[in-house]
Amino acid sequence: MDTYRTDDIIYALATGWVRSALAVIRISGKGCIARFAPVFTASQKLLSAQNGTLVYGEVKEIDQVVVSVYRDGHGYTGEEALEISCHGSLVGIQKLLDMCGRLGFRQAGRGEFTYRAFAHGRMDLTQAEAVEELVDSMSDKGQSQALGRLNGSLKMKLAEVRKRFLQAMAAIEVQLDYSEDELDEFIFPRTQLESIVHDVERLDATYQVGRLYGEGAKVVLAGHTNVGKSSLFNLLLHEQRAIVSPVPGTTRDWLEERVVIDSIPIRLYDTAGLRESGDIVESEGISRTRGLLAEADLVVYLHEDGDGHAPEGEHVLSVWAKNDLVPHKGLAISTKTGEGIKELLAAIAARLRKSLPESEGEVVIQSRRQHELLGEIVKDITSALALESQGVPLDIVSSVLQEGLSALGEITGAVTSAEILETIFSGFCVGK
Amino acid sequence: MDYDAIVIGGGHAGIEASLALARMGFSTLVITQSLDAIGRLSCNPAVGGLAKGNIVREVDALGGEMGHLIDKSMIQFRILNRRRGPAVQSPRAQADKFTYSRIAKQTLEAQKGLHLFMDTVVDLLENPDHSYAGVITERGHRITSRVLVLTTGTFMEGRIFIGEYDAQYGRLDEPAAIGLGTNLRRLGFEVGRLKTGTPARVRRSSLDLEAMEKQDADPVPLPFSFSDTRIDRPMVPCYITWTNEHVHETIRRNIHRSPLYGGKIVGKGPRYCPSIEDKVVRFPQRDRHQVFIEPEGVGTEEMYLNGLSSSLPEEVQSAFIHQVRGLEQAEIMRPGYAVEYDFLNPRGLYPSLESKRMSGLFVAGQTNGTSGYEEAACQGLLAGINAAQKLKGEPPLVLKRNEAYIGVLIDDLVTMGTNEPYRMFTSRAEYRLLLRHDTADQRLTPKGYQVGLQSGEALERLKRKMEGIDAVKELLRSRSYAQKNALQALKMPEVEIDQMVGAIPELAGYDESVRYQVELDVKYQGYIDREDREISRFERLEGMAIPAGFDYDKVQGLSFESREKLKKVLPISVGQASRVNGVRMSDIALLILHLQRKEHIHA
Repeated sequence: MDTYRTDDIIYALATGWVRSALAVIRISGKGCIARFAPVFTASQKLLSAQNGTLVYGEVKEIDQVVVSVYRDGHGYTGEEALEISCHGSLVGIQKLLDMCGRLGFRQAGRGEFTYRAFAHGRMDLTQAEAVEELVDSMSDKGQSQALGRLNGSLKMKLAEVRKRFLQAMAAIEVQLDYSEDELDEFIFPRTQLESIVHDVERLDATYQVGRLYGEGAKVVLAGHTNVGKSSLFNLLLHEQRAIVSPVPGTTRDWLEERVVIDSIPIRLYDTAGLRESGDIVESEGISRTRGLLAEADLVVYLHEDGDGHAPEGEHVLSVWAKNDLVPHKGLAISTKTGEGIKELLAAIAARLRKSLPESEGEVVIQSRRQHELLGEIVKDITSALALESQGVPLDIVSSVLQEGLSALGEITGAVTSAEILETIFSGFCVGK
Repeated sequence: MDYDAIVIGGGHAGIEASLALARMGFSTLVITQSLDAIGRLSCNPAVGGLAKGNIVREVDALGGEMGHLIDKSMIQFRILNRRRGPAVQSPRAQADKFTYSRIAKQTLEAQKGLHLFMDTVVDLLENPDHSYAGVITERGHRITSRVLVLTTGTFMEGRIFIGEYDAQYGRLDEPAAIGLGTNLRRLGFEVGRLKTGTPARVRRSSLDLEAMEKQDADPVPLPFSFSDTRIDRPMVPCYITWTNEHVHETIRRNIHRSPLYGGKIVGKGPRYCPSIEDKVVRFPQRDRHQVFIEPEGVGTEEMYLNGLSSSLPEEVQSAFIHQVRGLEQAEIMRPGYAVEYDFLNPRGLYPSLESKRMSGLFVAGQTNGTSGYEEAACQGLLAGINAAQKLKGEPPLVLKRNEAYIGVLIDDLVTMGTNEPYRMFTSRAEYRLLLRHDTADQRLTPKGYQVGLQSGEALERLKRKMEGIDAVKELLRSRSYAQKNALQALKMPEVEIDQMVGAIPELAGYDESVRYQVELDVKYQGYIDREDREISRFERLEGMAIPAGFDYDKVQGLSFESREKLKKVLPISVGQASRVNGVRMSDIALLILHLQRKEHIHA
């Protein structure tokens, strides 16, 4: 955080990078209103707007939006700021973000808005952390307490897992809430818990699908230098008519762009060419490229005669380049003539779809946080099961399960002790 | 001003409240409807049990009386749930109900500065600023004091039901307090109705005890109080029998005669302690229910039929009791009955148990919607302490959820309210590994001393215990056991500290309780550390205070529902606010920002 400056204008998408009805882009920094006004149709109204007012208008040729205006000393960050509520299509959002970049605003780092609030004395550090934490957990919690933005079958699936978890928990808690001589023989609900683990794992496996659609699949263009990667890169962007400004990587090793192929959102990377090099700087770039290749959902490997063997593998699609010069059989393209591009797009889409695990109907885990929480649930239940078989007493086993339940609660809305008692009273004949 | 403090009621809450006030130096008057009913065990003649036993020890650690009363009157002692793990074990004791009640009254009488008076309070007096001023009794006395603790139990507009019969009683044949409930409604308090019940009592010599299973006491009874060293009292057994299909059939055939099913009772009863008719109706698949036969005392033949609570007509009770094995010839000495009574919505209280509507008024026990002697006693104690703190002009003692079951109980009540008689359960506590009964003194005795209730000796005793624990840990650290450092070895589930005495003979020089505590500390450390991480998060929100008189209308962007709910509860911290039902987390974030902004301006 210490590298953040506070004297420029920052922007960021405040809502998630997913298709939705509405999205909010936040801009903060001195002078941002005057800088933004020229690209806004209701510019006079905006310039004279009071703090805390809304201005309706159009960001020229992009979208109709509502702009919330915060004057210096107000709002979350305590500095002059705008919040643009726009329509939630990914292409539209990207165009607006692009516009911010062109206006000379800087893309905000993680937590930078909160950092500015802190810097302007809006809150102290512990509270800044508390807010971060709350907002972090809230974005999902809020989302799912209503469970409204989750799709129908995921919601049902989670509600069903929650119910079973609650029942298993109640079976254990009733043993702790009532004395042994008041209750029937206790059988630890091992099978029930194991089946919850199984189901949660299956649910979590759909994260791959969700991530591809949510964050976008990582598709990396690779191959020797001068094989035509950059030409293909530009061509694919052009094909999609989703011209966007480059999102800079940490170094100049690659370019990243967002495109959509056959309705799959894709983060397309143009990389430094692969070749053995004695140049230290270049080989550093190449090793970074290799890192990127390892993370890729799909590597499109361009090659031509004399490049040696093209790499093979589950995540590699080998493509002959420059087919206009030397025709080849199989998947072959020419960026000059456009030959084979349609086939390449179809092949990319097919390969991405093929690599996805079977998902049950529409059930798909989309957010990273949900994915992490599901992992937490599996870990906690598994370790509780292990403790129980080692003969560790129930009070500890239950406290470990409780953590799993609270992880689930972060997705589905908190599980309260009142709810556990409710389940106990409705399912067990208790009380002398 | 006639007295510094008045306490209405001489039950388990009233006893603790009045003793705390008097011991903290304030002249206190207890007004009770019957001097012969002080500390009466109206229902089950037992104290303690899961979570409840922890509360008794917490009361004792703070300087309350309940632990001593049960130590001096117990006739059977058991530790429950030994096999379930130390965090959820708890002591429970049967009491001789006559001894318990007699010692309770003696203790009040022996207390300097404490006065007792038999009358019934029917109305409260208030000052023009709506603060509390005094009470008016049935016989027309106007008595003033600076603070009042209200502990009415089941007596406020109480009504008992046995089948078609009903009468204005708080306990069978003990008149209800009529008028106070109506006047509290008139004064604007939120008054509701709750219901509870009790089973029949039968004559010991008429029972076939041979036909039942005998349940003996633990071989060594342990004291509840940290200052009592040993219990030297004769122990008597309890007995267990079971209902059967004939019993259930009798109940089913007569269920329409129950005042509960007939709709005569509007108050909600406790789901965790259902009447036998409730159990039969709700769990039709069960062919039997357990019944515990518990002695009510040593000088009496009355036996309590634990598990057969009922408000069916007496002839129906008689019929099904006689169908239970061992009870065929039972002579019924008192019938079971249901009682319905007024309670005040506890959300009308601050966590100090002081009323938001009327300052100077503190409320405790069943009046707050709880059930159980232990729950009542701990509230009485805190209400008494906080009434005294107010008289001293010092801040109230508010226990946190990670400090005591008492903290959980009071926070639940004042934050969420209740719609059935509230009983403590271990599952209500998030941090129960920390709330073991044997650590109550460590958690609370310094606090009791700080407010001026707990004695210097108690603090000294605690200091010695802690030194003993440190010394044992140091000893283990310096020795080895099973080819390991002894402290590390103790972490293994199969190793117990008492097995080490052979290898490390010095251990024998320490109290069993000290050794046991070291064993638990060591074995549970990893899990307690996990809870500690949760707790530091919890405490951060708990530590963000919301000032008295905070204006929620000034918080921009707060949702309407959250605003209304927060205005009703008036939480004292962001932590408490976050537990108010239905308040959104995003609104909590706004609240934090607003509070900070305010602080910033003031600074």
